[in-house]
Amino acid sequence: MTIVLHFTPDPENGRQVYDICARCHLPEAWGTEDGTYPQLAGQHRSVLLKQLLDIREGRRRSPLMRPFVQPRIVGGYQNLVDVVTYIAALPMNPAHGKGPWPEATPEYAQGKQVYQTNCAACHGQQGEGDDARRIPRLQGQHYAYMRRQAIDAKRGLREVDPGMSSVIIKLSDEQIALALNYVSRVEVPKQDLAPSPGWRNPDFSEVEK
Amino acid sequence: MTEQSRSSRRRFLQAAAALAAAPAVSHATHGASPEKAGQDTPPALARLLRKADLPEPKGPRVVIVGGGWSGLSMAKYLRLRNPGFDVVLIDRQPAFLSFPLSNAWLADQVNMEFLSHSFFEAANRHDYRFVQATVLGLDRTSRKVYTDAGTIAYDYLVLAPGIEYDYPQIGIEDPVVQEQLYHHFPGGFYSSSELLTIKRKIQAFRRGTFLLTVPSGDYRCSAAPYERACVMAALFRRRGIRGKILLLDMNNDITIMKDAFARAFNDLYGDIIDYQPSSLLAGMDLEKRIIETEFDEFPFDDAIIYPPIRASRLLEEAGIADPHSTQKTARTDPFRYHLVDDERVYVTGDSRSQPFSKGGHTANSEAQYVAEVIAGHALGREVEWRSPQTMCFSTVAIDPLRAMSHITYYRYDEASKDFAFDRIHSVEKWDVTGGQASIAWAEGMFRDMFYE
Repeated sequence: MTIVLHFTPDPENGRQVYDICARCHLPEAWGTEDGTYPQLAGQHRSVLLKQLLDIREGRRRSPLMRPFVQPRIVGGYQNLVDVVTYIAALPMNPAHGKGPWPEATPEYAQGKQVYQTNCAACHGQQGEGDDARRIPRLQGQHYAYMRRQAIDAKRGLREVDPGMSSVIIKLSDEQIALALNYVSRVEVPKQDLAPSPGWRNPDFSEVEK
Repeated sequence: MTEQSRSSRRRFLQAAAALAAAPAVSHATHGASPEKAGQDTPPALARLLRKADLPEPKGPRVVIVGGGWSGLSMAKYLRLRNPGFDVVLIDRQPAFLSFPLSNAWLADQVNMEFLSHSFFEAANRHDYRFVQATVLGLDRTSRKVYTDAGTIAYDYLVLAPGIEYDYPQIGIEDPVVQEQLYHHFPGGFYSSSELLTIKRKIQAFRRGTFLLTVPSGDYRCSAAPYERACVMAALFRRRGIRGKILLLDMNNDITIMKDAFARAFNDLYGDIIDYQPSSLLAGMDLEKRIIETEFDEFPFDDAIIYPPIRASRLLEEAGIADPHSTQKTARTDPFRYHLVDDERVYVTGDSRSQPFSKGGHTANSEAQYVAEVIAGHALGREVEWRSPQTMCFSTVAIDPLRAMSHITYYRYDEASKDFAFDRIHSVEKWDVTGGQASIAWAEGMFRDMFYE
């Protein structure tokens, strides 16, 4: 039996809930180029919500984050809906980490091929993902983060859905790197980006050093 | 009975049989051939030269010295990154006690069970072996670690032995005086008895001046001495104690979240905390309880003296410490963490040579990366450098717990050929969200190292 709950998001409450997340993910939710933290800004709400619930329940292994997403800290479903709404609407990092092979290299072209054959059907031609189907947006994500996650998924160190897992196990580590290089170089629509890499989230300016 | 449960039952019976046989077998082994123990080796020392009681390794053996935040995280992630590794974690303590969050424990905001954890559970959960032993030395040629439980051969060795107090840096050279100071006025950053002593001291304090010091140099947990002053002031107020806290800082200013701590000292605890920067210690009379700085003399009734620190003496004794380094750290590759002349020996945690802030979070995030480096070395995979992070929560007020937070990333600066702070994000307001976050942070760390 599936129970569907409906919530009306309150972004202002989302901002307040994000306060605790920002302690590690920083006010912009841009992640780090070396892939230690993902870019959360601009990600689909359904994807963010799924990750929060997966981590809460232990379906996605993240012992460090797990206590933070328990109801006693982050609150109930309403708070989760509000915080993902807030994060999804944040402007994205205009200088996210890209793979090593620029356009016009053979590796870039190979990667495009691998991506289009294996990934585009779900993640989209432009890596745009799909909110309705809870498919992550890859566009704008740090290359190093995607590569680590994909390779961990291939080795069984990160749980992913069966569709993703059936594709990823067929790819070599090198093919994964090439495909992700390509998608890390897809241009993010300008209206989704912050004006500059030096932009700081004014919602938290009073606490930023 | 299913096939699986039958076979696991069979394995259990075998294990039981092996256990029953073990004492006799090991006795025979030890008696017959203590490894290369010469004719005149006293029996007490022969014990040190035999092999430790461990099963034959099933794959490359990684021995980790030190079951602190670095070693525990390392053991877990080594097994995760290369399931073929046979991992052995050595610590001389029988159980783990967390220093992070210990200030919250001093103020009864968390209990002892929250801070204490079992090495056995960590090893059982993450499928490695824990050996309670003291490491006595290394032989890098034959790749062997000497311990009081016998010798352990390694394919890779991770040294995460942590810090020691460096009393000579504050002019105390005599080992007897050092020990007196350590036992009577412990700093609370090295052994668990220190924490228990400190809590008793605070509970027993009735009136007068309680002296605290902040060391110079890259000491363990930058915010902790300031946090402790706040926590103790809050406790004095809670219990109606008319005491002063004299905070002598060997640095020229508060070393972290300066404005916020200054605000807390003035606005919240102005009647209790007397903060004195640039207080280089010049002398101490332990009998009369007087401490001298370059320009002043302060009487005190009780004290917590946190001296500067250095890397564990083990590095020096193993002949790998760089005599020119202030903290007697080893010469290691700054990105790969191995000794410059030995890719089988790594140094991590608070005894590392890189200038990262010393503390639990740095050690944990660093270990996740170094575990990949070592697995990569064994499996022939390249691993790109990534920065550790230092996440730090500082309790400023209690009942309820209110804390600030601070996160730091590092980058390598080509010009100075050294690491520098990259992004720093400080939340310099103390609130209940910060207090809850500090508890959630510690819980997450304990889950990571021991249970998940």
